[in-house]
Formats: sequence, structure tokens, C-alpha cells
Amino acid sequence: MERRVVITAEACICPIGRSAEQIADNLLRGVSGVRPLREDPVLGPYLHSRVFGTVDEPIEYDFARQHRKTMGPVSYYACQAVKELLERAGLEPDFIRSGRLGVAFGSIHGSPTVQREVYSKLLDGEGPGPKRIGAADYLKSMVHTTAVNITRMFGITGRVISSCTACTTGSQSIGFGYEAVKYGLQDAMICGAADEYDLTTVAVFDNLLACSTAFNDEPHRTPRPFDARRDGLVVGEGAGAVLLETLDGARSRGATILAELIGFACGNNGGDLILPNAEGVEATIRAGLDNARIAPGEVDLVSAHATATRMGDVVEAQAMHAVYGDRPWVTALKSYVGHTMSACGALETIFTLYMLERGIIYPTLNLEEVDPRCAMIRHVREPIEAELDTVAVQSFAFGGVNTCLLLRRFAP
Amino acid sequence: MTREQARDRILSILSESFEIENPDPDADLRAQHMFDSIDAIELLASIEDLLGRELSQEEKQRAVDIRSLNQIVDYVVELAGAGR
Repeated sequence: MERRVVITAEACICPIGRSAEQIADNLLRGVSGVRPLREDPVLGPYLHSRVFGTVDEPIEYDFARQHRKTMGPVSYYACQAVKELLERAGLEPDFIRSGRLGVAFGSIHGSPTVQREVYSKLLDGEGPGPKRIGAADYLKSMVHTTAVNITRMFGITGRVISSCTACTTGSQSIGFGYEAVKYGLQDAMICGAADEYDLTTVAVFDNLLACSTAFNDEPHRTPRPFDARRDGLVVGEGAGAVLLETLDGARSRGATILAELIGFACGNNGGDLILPNAEGVEATIRAGLDNARIAPGEVDLVSAHATATRMGDVVEAQAMHAVYGDRPWVTALKSYVGHTMSACGALETIFTLYMLERGIIYPTLNLEEVDPRCAMIRHVREPIEAELDTVAVQSFAFGGVNTCLLLRRFAP
Repeated sequence: MTREQARDRILSILSESFEIENPDPDADLRAQHMFDSIDAIELLASIEDLLGRELSQEEKQRAVDIRSLNQIVDYVVELAGAGR
């Protein structure tokens, strides 16, 4: 049994805003959410990259203590986004607790802030370290902390999927949630990902020479996907959540349908865990198109993974060109918010919903001079009015994981 | 430590760490204030700070059936006496 799956609500917290109106306006005006690093006496002095896609807006977490006590920052983000998602979705309380609604939500490695606190207690020499580890510290920091804090806070009893595949976490959440609904395992899924402000992630990419360092004094000018002067990724933070449900279910309750999710594929390069691989990416794109049962020529726009590393963007451009030629528009949305790690696939899917709804393609920011090695695809360099029908969202991760989601404007 | 002193300190801990204000002394804290097993472990750590000593595993096991403020106070007073 296969069922049509639609997206009926979205919510996000990201470096360029909280609401669809605010974020769409910032995308249209080319506003960047990349800012200088906050002070960090432990890691700060050792980092070459001094920029971060930062959520500076104060967020009101009006959660009860019994919910707050098991949350680190990443779960606050996730639960706040899902709280807003459920407020917008208008699901019946009985349905939320029925077991027919599940959660697919993750982060790259739980809460690094809490993990740092735990290791500080163990190593600071100020007392019996193990005894100072709090009863809730593991619940705050474990890999699936976002997913199960969501289930606890909202009383959700359906299946739990908590992907933790680095930068494909969010796209896998949506993809695996899509499969759960499509094949009748659940009637609806809350899908997404979150990651918190964390400089250990910056340190990891900094050490790999993958972080942007040339624009520390002008944070808004980096990252620069596909640009000749790009010099690496910019780590960011945020959370994105979407509600997937069956078309029939959405129709029967009169829900607003934002888009139909028509296909998903996930594959692996089958080799190196870091280096991007054009064949692997191309295979995943083709598998996504097969899953959606559409031809490459039907895709109007690709939201590229495009982290702005020197090699990754070239490999992705090659793979896209091999599948699509130069027909679809290509935009790289990390140019506005940085690489929000696990959340990127969810946030970029949500930004794509805004483009489908508004009929506007938001361009790749900071794309001033296209790298000749990336010039064979159809870049978007200024806002374009376009009646979009079908859109692909690509995400790739350390470990050689590749994903492709395909969305379509809903045609009743 | 007198019973009054223990009661005041526990009320203070319940307020500051668990946002529980002036509970009914005999009420089931779990049922009325969602005080769960995670909270119980945190409270035991606070009781260790209050007594200025580490509790044995046996002493901690005895707390498993505690449900109310009065039972917590009884437990602390008994431990304080035992440690004297």
C-alpha cells in the first residue's frame, strides 16, 4: 500500500528568523545570519574561523519544569519548534496521543553544551567528578534527546526515529518519516532536526581546514557557495520541523497543504568517510527521481547542499550537471544561515516551501563570481519570480551519506 | 538537626530546585507535583550536601518508597542522627 504524503505545517528557529514572513523577507532582501563568534575562553583562542550562523533572538521557553529538566539547548530548540508546529497544525489532541503520530527527529550528537559540562565535572579537579554528574545529564545530552523530549512534552506514543547522520540527519528524518507515512506505518510524522550553538563543531571543521577564515571581519560575506572566493563552511545553529501526513488525512481534517512530498532516496558513497564523491551523489539523485517516478527534466529547482568548501561544491555541481544538465535553477541556502549541521536538510526544505508558496526563487548569497568549475549549472544570483512545480532538496554528510528529497506543489 | 530545621531545609530545596512550593506534608509528590525518579536522585544529592556526607547505597535504597514531604523529613532526621 502506498499513500500520498503531504506537508501541512512547518516551524523553525534559524539565524534569519522564526516566522515564515520574517525568514522569507530576509531571504528576499539577502540578509545574512552569520555573525562573529561569541566569547569562549576554552576553544575560542584556538579557532581560525571566527564566524557562526547564530540565533541571536531571545526565545521564550515557557515549558514546565518537568519538561525543562531533561533538556539541553538542542532539545529546547527542538521542542520550541515542534510546539509552534503543533499550534499551526491544529491536530486533535486525541490524534496526537493515538499512536498514529510518530516523531523522526535528530541532532548531530545530542547536546555538546551538556557534554562539555559533564567532562568539566570529571576533569576540573574540584570534587568527586562522577558524583557531580546530574541524574538528567544523560537525558539532556544523548543522541536521541530531541526526539524523546518531543514525545514526552506532547505525549506522543507513535514510533520514534532518531537519525544521527551528521548533516543528513534532518533530511533523513523527513525521508524516513515520509516512508513511514507512505507505507502506512504511521498516519502522520513530526520530522526535523536541531543543533545548538557549539564551538566544538567549529573546531572539528577548523582542524580539517574546512571552515571559512577569510571573512572573519565581514561575517555576512561568507559562506560563499559556488563562488570563486569561497573558502569553506560556516557552522550554524537552529531547528526545523515539518508535519507529514497522508493526503486523505489532511483533506478530511481540512488542513492547509503546503506541498506534496513525492520522493526520497538515501545512499552511501561506499568508500571514503569525508571526501565528496560525484558518482555517489549522482546515484542518490537518480534514485530520488526514480522513487518519485519523475524524469530529470521535471525538476524546476534544486536546493543544493553546497557548504562552500572548495571541493564539495565542485563535486555537487558535477553530479547535478550529469543528471539534470543545466535546466533546473540551483540555489544554495546555506549562504544565508551557515551550515546548521543536522538541521540543514529540514531548514532548507522549509525555505523551499516558502519558494513554492511565493513563486520566488531566493538566490545564492555571496555568489559574486561563479567558480568556472561550477559554472555548468544554472545558478540563481538574484531573486527570480518563477512558478515552481517540482523541487529537489539535496543533503550530504560525513560518512559518505547522501540524500535527496523531492517536493511538488500540491495539485488538488 | 531538629525536625523543624530539616523541614525548613527540605522545603527550601523543593522550592529552589524543583519549583514545588509548600506542598501538603502528606501529599504524594509524584501524583501532585510530578516529582519523578530523576528528581528523587537529584534530591538525594542535595540531602548529601545538607548532611555533609556521602550516603551509602543501602541508605539510598531506603528512599525508594518515599512519597511525601513528611517522609522526606523523617528520612533526613534519621540519617542526621545516624551520622552523628
